[in-house]
Amino acid sequence: MALESLMGFKESFVRPRLMDEEDVDESYDIPNFTDNMMLALPPLANPRSALANFQHDQYGKDIKIKVDHGTTTLGFRFRNGVILAVDSRATGGEYIGSQTMKKIIEINKFLLGTMAGGAADCVYWDRVLAKQCRLHELRNKERITTAAASKIMSNMAYSYKDTGLSMGMMIAGFDVRGPELYYVDSEGSRTKGDIFSVGSGSVFAYGVMDAGYSYDLSDEDAYELARRSIYSATFRDAFSGGLIRVYHMKETGWECISVQDCKDLHYAYYPNGK
Amino acid sequence: MSVMTYNGGGVVAMKGKDCVAIACDLRFGVNRSMTLATDFEKVFQFGPHLFCGLPGLATDTLTVRDKLKFRLNMYELKEDRKMSPKVFTSMLSNLLYERRFGPFFVEPVIAGLHPKTFEPYVCSMDLIGCPEQPEDFVVSGTCSPQLYGMCEALYEPNLEPDDLYETISQALVNAFDRDALSGWGASVYIIQKDKITHKTVKTRMD
Amino acid sequence: MGSERYSFSLTTFSPSGKLVQIEYALAAVSAGAPSIGIKAQNGVVLATENKFKSILYEEHSIKKIEMIEEHIGMVYSGMGPDYRLLVKRARKLAQQYKLVYGQRIPTPQLVQKVAMVMQEYTQSGGVRPFGVSLLICGWDEGVPTLFQCDPSGAYFAWKATAMGKNFINGKTFLEKRYIETQDIEDAVHTAILTLKEGFEGQMTSDNIEVGICDENGFRVLDPNSVKDYLANIP
Repeated sequence: MALESLMGFKESFVRPRLMDEEDVDESYDIPNFTDNMMLALPPLANPRSALANFQHDQYGKDIKIKVDHGTTTLGFRFRNGVILAVDSRATGGEYIGSQTMKKIIEINKFLLGTMAGGAADCVYWDRVLAKQCRLHELRNKERITTAAASKIMSNMAYSYKDTGLSMGMMIAGFDVRGPELYYVDSEGSRTKGDIFSVGSGSVFAYGVMDAGYSYDLSDEDAYELARRSIYSATFRDAFSGGLIRVYHMKETGWECISVQDCKDLHYAYYPNGK
Repeated sequence: MSVMTYNGGGVVAMKGKDCVAIACDLRFGVNRSMTLATDFEKVFQFGPHLFCGLPGLATDTLTVRDKLKFRLNMYELKEDRKMSPKVFTSMLSNLLYERRFGPFFVEPVIAGLHPKTFEPYVCSMDLIGCPEQPEDFVVSGTCSPQLYGMCEALYEPNLEPDDLYETISQALVNAFDRDALSGWGASVYIIQKDKITHKTVKTRMD
Repeated sequence: MGSERYSFSLTTFSPSGKLVQIEYALAAVSAGAPSIGIKAQNGVVLATENKFKSILYEEHSIKKIEMIEEHIGMVYSGMGPDYRLLVKRARKLAQQYKLVYGQRIPTPQLVQKVAMVMQEYTQSGGVRPFGVSLLICGWDEGVPTLFQCDPSGAYFAWKATAMGKNFINGKTFLEKRYIETQDIEDAVHTAILTLKEGFEGQMTSDNIEVGICDENGFRVLDPNSVKDYLANIP
């Protein structure tokens, strides 16, 4: 035994490790296993300011981790709730990594989040948010409001401001205050609004959405407006495409309205070519 | 941001049995991300059996096309004969190397049949004119890694014109479906001794 | 004399519409050593007289028939130094063509380019026309070609022709002797016979040159081969 430890072997060949030893090790090694907010930061005295020194190469050019940046997501509030619609393309640089990404995250029956920016960032923090929302529900015996949920998200994002997180998300929900839509991003901003579009294709989506939007839209018209807006963005924006998902947040919870391929939509809209 | 990816696009050419095929996508984008037009041909005809694709920076695509046409016309007027694909390659290589220290941002692909022997010929080049003349296929443009993959998988030698059309179309379409900067329609040319077939392929438009 | 008033400047026409400097250049050609060119079915032959003014000259030290490209040869009548400049230019033009198009220059193309150079020297300031006429022979994808190129920049395609001293007699001789279906051996024979017309002194393998262009390209015959041909001459 003594020789083993002297030689630096952590595990013994002779004796299996005990359960309690294992637990101690793991909670020590993985900080966010016990606390989701505990991410490993660069081992520097002041990570936030020191990180800036690592964002450029020796020529002063930005060092970029190629993450999913291209996206089109949109959401709007209308008389029957909130509509969310997204594309499904994931790109790394100009390479298309996936055409079937799920960019709407189902936090719970009455909360939906959309993701744009870094895919890993969005997925991770939405998962943390889902946990927090569930805990809130258990502790208080009532559902969390959209306002509160979005605030949790923006507070978490703010605590990691300037560390390179990249997120632009919409959080839609239905609670006692009715249907609500919030925009939250990794810079820490949180805005309540009626119409949002986020991602590289947002400008194109806004163009169609603004032209056709009215608060009094019927359900069908609202779905079609959302679908058409995302379709336009997938046509114009190189980094958006794949499937178009439309979700409706109702008083009774969310409903997935449609998942359609861009290609089918294009040839349905323009059977004789554009 | 690389100049070569500012507009996006891809070209592929393949040899068949007594025929060659050349194909391009139709996207014209700016700033990489924004698609402005979907009818931008990158393959041009320079003779009865001579075609050249010029993917890269769109402004240079058009400039090099015009400069090539000028030199080709001068040659054909002076010498009173058609230019063979090999000579065309040599001339283009020369044209590109003239700008060695300030290049045109195009990576040409040449496909054609010899005007007398009708021997199939394909060739690709880098932006300063280093030619490469393989026995099977050549690729170029923003989706060239994907095109290499597709061609290596689908290509077989001595395909008949119809099979060659199918192979090159599948190779191109499936390659640019994995490239954000190419696609939005495809244009395919099959070059035979006494027939040129041009087809536009329906593709995804995202 | 009227013409003298217009001969000071090469680029000034005389009232009769002549550029007299060019005519003088042609006179220099006519005074030069004779050259012959004959097309055969399977090649072209060039032949010329290469006489020495003194027996002290090193024989074969000066060549008159030159290779321009693998498949093109050239000879002249007139002034030697002018000819060597044109040989240099022609070789350079042929190589430039090869650099751009990756193939040998077709003979008509080379002739045109060389003629362009000669024309330039009839219309530029500070220069004089070339005092030579050229015979350029070539072999292009199975086709033999023979061209004559004059100081004015004019050029002609011939089946057979003679230039230089006694060229009128030479041409008359060729007109009688020329057979379209002859092969290269007969053409060499005819060329030497034509040179022999009006040749002063004994003709040897040291005072004539013969060049042949066929499917194997262009080559100048060595004196021993010439001697073999001369042996068959009566």
